[in-house]
Amino acid sequence: MILAYTFRWELVPESAGVLAHGLKVTLQLSALSFVLSLALGLVVALCRLAPSRPVRAAAYVYTQIFRALSLYVYVLFLYFGIAAVFGIDLGTFAAGVVALTLLNSAYMAEIYRAAIGSVEHGQREAALALGLGHTRTFSSVIGPQAVRVAVPGLVNQLVDIIKDSSIVAVIGVLDLMGTTIQLVNTKRAPFELYTVTALTYIALILLVSAAAALLERRLARHLASGGTGPGPLERMRSFRFRGEAPA
Amino acid sequence: MTSLLAYDFAWGPVLDRWDLFLLGAWLDVWVTGLSFLLACAIGFGVAVLRISGIRWLQGAAFAYVQILRGVPLLVFLYWVYFGIAIVIGVNFSPIQAGIVALTLTGSAYTAEIFRGGLQAIDRGQAEASRSLGLSRVGTYRHVLLPQTFRIVVPPLGNTFIGLLKGATLLSIIAVHDMVRVANDLNINFFTPFEAFTAVALILVALVAVFSAAVSFVERMLRLP
Repeated sequence: MILAYTFRWELVPESAGVLAHGLKVTLQLSALSFVLSLALGLVVALCRLAPSRPVRAAAYVYTQIFRALSLYVYVLFLYFGIAAVFGIDLGTFAAGVVALTLLNSAYMAEIYRAAIGSVEHGQREAALALGLGHTRTFSSVIGPQAVRVAVPGLVNQLVDIIKDSSIVAVIGVLDLMGTTIQLVNTKRAPFELYTVTALTYIALILLVSAAAALLERRLARHLASGGTGPGPLERMRSFRFRGEAPA
Repeated sequence: MTSLLAYDFAWGPVLDRWDLFLLGAWLDVWVTGLSFLLACAIGFGVAVLRISGIRWLQGAAFAYVQILRGVPLLVFLYWVYFGIAIVIGVNFSPIQAGIVALTLTGSAYTAEIFRGGLQAIDRGQAEASRSLGLSRVGTYRHVLLPQTFRIVVPPLGNTFIGLLKGATLLSIIAVHDMVRVANDLNINFFTPFEAFTAVALILVALVAVFSAAVSFVERMLRLP
């Protein structure tokens, strides 16, 4: 096929510096949101398992709502809606971090909950029977076992965070996507520039996925030995939670 | 009620235009539905290639899935709408570009789901039906697919919901969906909170309805 279009790939190397800066912002945004949602997700998961009914219900509503919202709608709501009502100007980067954190903490909470649920009931009973308090039972017995199971899922969530983070470009964050949009406006080479950006995201995500797979294998090594019935990893996988989102 | 907030709530503009919001939401739903069906068709093809046993086809299908799952939907949308359009000299309408982006992204997810579903079925099933004289196509149609279907419904439901959330991005390239309606309203009346709350509520409601529908189908398909 003969294309009427002449490619201008030479624009790519000369834009590399700007794009690299955008990539740095994407990494900062994703890493910060990832760490914050790891913490917040654990709090929400513990609330979902709390003895008090209203706390459990509130945490349930939290996970249901945030897993139903798209990041785009939530960013608009937060950056324009909430900001106007309370008269606060969050700034675009902070708004992006807050939106990514809240949304992903809901998914993280479900991963934690599934992981905690995968630890055999007898472990808890045994710990309590040995005289450990509830806090101690969780921190020394249930927690360490659950973390092993949760880690691969949590790292995979980072993949979604990186992909979703591109959306904050629409409120003007100059992340990888944001800088690309700006470059396209001045250089008028949408195909070349968006291709490079897409490839960068792919590389980043393959890297994180590979790390997640490696971690999963390492953490599962001691579980691979014999025994009867499904191990914690299989129990966790069979615990269906609604997480896959092609965003 | 006097509030301490400097913001005057005005729900009028939103409530007066409830029909526009519903029309916008309907656009999101049908675009998602169409993209989902196309994504299932392509995804199934890719899944069959991935377990075809032919080395290079398997490799190609694997690369397809890995690449498409690594591209953020927004980037893909811009790539199709601005990039591809200029290279091949086609002017996509925003909706067409949206459907292409949603379909291709979705197909990478559905491919993995179908592959998992097909592989979950005991090999003996295929072997038995082949030795009973069913053709390769017949084996798929009468033996493997009905069993796969039961397995793939819940994850496919999740993909549908994911695509619905992705469809809200289409307003960025000027598709008149519900987010666009809210954006226009915000520009004309400066009611960002009310407008985006309305969109958020519609989205949460839609997701709840579709989740319930998926659970219903799941229950219907469950073996007694």
